[in-house]
Amino acid sequence: MGVVEFAAAKTLASSAVFLFITVLLIASAKRTVSCIVLFAVQCAVITAQIVAMASLRHSGDAVAVAVMVLLVKVLAIPYALLRVSARLKVSPKVSAATTPAQSAFIAAALILLAFAVVQPYARDFALDSEMLAAATAMVLTGGFLMVSRRKALMQVVGLLVLENGIFLLALTTTFGMPLVIEMGIFFDLLIWVLLMGVFIFRIRETFAHVDVSRLRRLRG
Amino acid sequence: MTLGIDVIQVLLLIVIAPLLRGMIGRVKARIQNRRGASVFRPYADLWKLFRKEDLVPLTASFLFRLCPIVLFAATLAAAAFVPVLHASSLLGNTGDFILLVYMLALARFFLVLGAMDGGSSFGGMGASREALVSTLAEAPLLLAMIAIAIVSHSASIASMVHWTAVRDPFQLSPVHAFALVALAMVTIAETGRVPVDNPVTHLELTMIHEAMVLEYSGPSLALIEWANSIKLTLMFTLLIGLFAPWGIAASLSFFGLGIAVATFALKIAILIVALAALESGVAKLRMYLVPQYLGIACAISVLAVVFTVFAR
Repeated sequence: MGVVEFAAAKTLASSAVFLFITVLLIASAKRTVSCIVLFAVQCAVITAQIVAMASLRHSGDAVAVAVMVLLVKVLAIPYALLRVSARLKVSPKVSAATTPAQSAFIAAALILLAFAVVQPYARDFALDSEMLAAATAMVLTGGFLMVSRRKALMQVVGLLVLENGIFLLALTTTFGMPLVIEMGIFFDLLIWVLLMGVFIFRIRETFAHVDVSRLRRLRG
Repeated sequence: MTLGIDVIQVLLLIVIAPLLRGMIGRVKARIQNRRGASVFRPYADLWKLFRKEDLVPLTASFLFRLCPIVLFAATLAAAAFVPVLHASSLLGNTGDFILLVYMLALARFFLVLGAMDGGSSFGGMGASREALVSTLAEAPLLLAMIAIAIVSHSASIASMVHWTAVRDPFQLSPVHAFALVALAMVTIAETGRVPVDNPVTHLELTMIHEAMVLEYSGPSLALIEWANSIKLTLMFTLLIGLFAPWGIAASLSFFGLGIAVATFALKIAILIVALAALESGVAKLRMYLVPQYLGIACAISVLAVVFTVFAR
């Protein structure tokens, strides 16, 4: 076994752990900026994982996907979000409905739930249960972030984490979708983030805040 | 022979403790673009304090003089539990990790007692804050170590270290990762470093440790400060031993011990730089946010314990 294969195998074996930790930290972060940076870190872990898979399976498509993840999710989207959050000039807090410690406990519970749920599935299909659990936990935590954070920007981060989870789920169960579909999803995501950025600006210009819970007063 | 290396390990921890503190201060100064004091200044400070007069407040009882001695003794006993160069320790056969945690708790209890005995309002304030922080830090500290104890099937720290040392360094288990994060967070709270307490200030209303030792002077203060740096070194060594003990001497050969010393120094240096960078980059938490911080550590350590069920 060569050094490359060895490193690839170890990356695959340990990346789930790093994903769990980023999920926990995103849930307990106090400022939007740290959430965005942690999201970039999470995507970097996923990139490493795809590269490892690519080198184990000798697939060129996977390398292309890894490059796209690196460009879009690790660099472009966090950069755009950081710019938006710098130019919004609202408070840097995530303004969550739960305290950081409560969020950490809830995220921990979601991780455990994910682990318990995927066990039979992983056993039947002989898949890596840790990776499956990490993907499911990311889907759940993304949803949790979206319902518990009042800032419009954090809803974007929540959705991105959720999307990461779905992407990872596809990666572990089917070893990645066809390249064309992946590309489509990435462009979708990029356009979506840009639209959302513009949308958040419009919310702030019209209402002078980005608090989603206060949009409820708009009812006629 | 094992007894000899065990005694050397404890002495090493005690002797390098002030140096560690000096090095953290020096690295912090370099990061902040200052020159900083010599790394040996803490030794000079201790020497100076030991030769000074010990002033006792008029309102204080005998406890005031007794507390620093008990504090130092209990910290010393705790240091005798931690393997440094070889996977064995002086008190390793007498007690397990629970005793280590409560040796530290005993030390802290007497520090709090002495602070309140001094009679100043600052002492009482610092003491109540320290009591709060330590109460909240105890759960994650114990839980993280319980998680490691469960996966390594042993309660003795020496065999926990040995169990990790013979494993493949790249086979990262979630239990170890979570326990490491929780224990690192607790280490910062326990040793009074920046996000929780600021170790370099005497003049802040939010100080914890410094408020407690405000009434102390001379040899008593020296003992407290020395015990404090031993505690920091001890926690660092514990982190290294439980999560990255590779390089620790398997046998007592000259060559093995040499490698153990070199790797230990390297790991301590990495931790020092990490801590100094963290302290320079992070603002101190408000007192009311400290429970939140420790709550997160608690959640992570609970996760570590529950994950032992899934551990391979």
